[in-house]
Amino acid sequence: MNVEDIFSSRLRMKILRMLVQVGELNVSQIARRLNVNFTTTSKHLKVLEDEGILIHKEFGRIRLYRLNEHSPKAKVVQTLVETWEHPNNK
Amino acid sequence: MLRRRSVFRDETKLDINYVPLRLPHREAELRLLMEFFNFALQSPGKMAQRVLITGNVGTGKTALSQRFGANITTEANKRGIGLCQVYVNCRELRGSLFLILQHAVTTFHPNFPKRGYSAEEILTSFIQILDEQNSHVILILDEFESLIDREGSEAVYKLTRLQEARQNKPQRLSLLCVVRNLKSISQLDASTRSTLQSNVINLEKYSKQQLVDILKDRVSLAFNPIAVPEDTLDLIAEIAVSESGGARFGIELLWRAGKYADAGDLNTVPPECVRKAVSSIIPEMRKSDLVNLGLHEKLFLLGIARALKKDEKAYVTFTEAERSYAIVCEEFETTPRSHTQLWKYLRSFSAIGIISSEHVTETSRGRSTGISLPRIPTDDLEKELKTLLENQD
Repeated sequence: MNVEDIFSSRLRMKILRMLVQVGELNVSQIARRLNVNFTTTSKHLKVLEDEGILIHKEFGRIRLYRLNEHSPKAKVVQTLVETWEHPNNK
Repeated sequence: MLRRRSVFRDETKLDINYVPLRLPHREAELRLLMEFFNFALQSPGKMAQRVLITGNVGTGKTALSQRFGANITTEANKRGIGLCQVYVNCRELRGSLFLILQHAVTTFHPNFPKRGYSAEEILTSFIQILDEQNSHVILILDEFESLIDREGSEAVYKLTRLQEARQNKPQRLSLLCVVRNLKSISQLDASTRSTLQSNVINLEKYSKQQLVDILKDRVSLAFNPIAVPEDTLDLIAEIAVSESGGARFGIELLWRAGKYADAGDLNTVPPECVRKAVSSIIPEMRKSDLVNLGLHEKLFLLGIARALKKDEKAYVTFTEAERSYAIVCEEFETTPRSHTQLWKYLRSFSAIGIISSEHVTETSRGRSTGISLPRIPTDDLEKELKTLLENQD
């Protein structure tokens, strides 16, 4: 996917911002915080995971998503969100 | 408002949640715990341990378990072993196995979902996390009886027999259960009980002298030098022993007494502040106890109160009390009662609980009984008695 396709979705950007802020969450928690349904949330998570920006860990039925710390794309997203929220921090 | 002087150097050292580095009179138990869990440092994963700590309120159960947890974690970190303690107060989590395990898991994954899963699933996830991180946990279950009361044998069985379903895999979870009374364990079924009761550490009540040592330790951390006289500590320890409150009660009393000293803008914490502190915690002596006393009993008690107030001491000797009583009799224009009669009064005051006369002081002329007024400030008692005596026919 092109960069404009990834970042053109408001929900995807919200998911990324949320995970930068809180670290890791499962699908239900993300859906609840975004006020959207489980299926929509899962779809967006899959897109971000396919791009290598997110990874997930499974504990039985529990799936916890977080930024992929080994992905350069995820690092850029993290810097983008942090810089946007705290522009004066070095 | 300008900050006035304070008797405290660091009052957080008297907080109920503060765990001191040194635990006076619990060194042996701490060593024993280290022995029980020594395998976790020598050969982690080879075995798991279950230990029960029992003892009354204020015998140092929580402090001992938390100090041990912190010490063993530090030691493990030094050796590069992935071992940590997870402390849970079962009562605070309403004795729910789900919430207890959830709390344990959030130590590793702070945003682990809070609902939608069973306790068994969380337990499985917890062990998976420990496997992935090659970590070992000592789960400290304080107020363990809450878990037993709510969940019964089943939950405890799951925790203790976890490894049986994990043959040939490293043992990750050890338990340190803190319980007030072993009787609560009897509610469990025989097989669960047997896995728990093999290592029991029973903490005996502290003696008065042991409490004095504990209080001295806290005073050195929390108060300015020489702010708390020995007399004050002695009185606090005596009250704590008589109220069966133990160390926790004694430390709380110490803090309150310090607060009264600060409120009075004093440099030190005199025994009078302890009396005020006690009357704010324990319901004060019933007025009817005083009303029912005879004239000379009231006069003698007034003499005791004044002697204690005059010398700002925690204890007065019988001779001092008798002398003070003689002056009170002069004031009220009456002839003092005999020495023997006063002894009888003293015994009855002690029986009612107005005074404490167990303390024995060594003087140059031998041993003498020390009289203390643990439950009511001398000022309040004096005021109450004067009102009653003025209205006496």
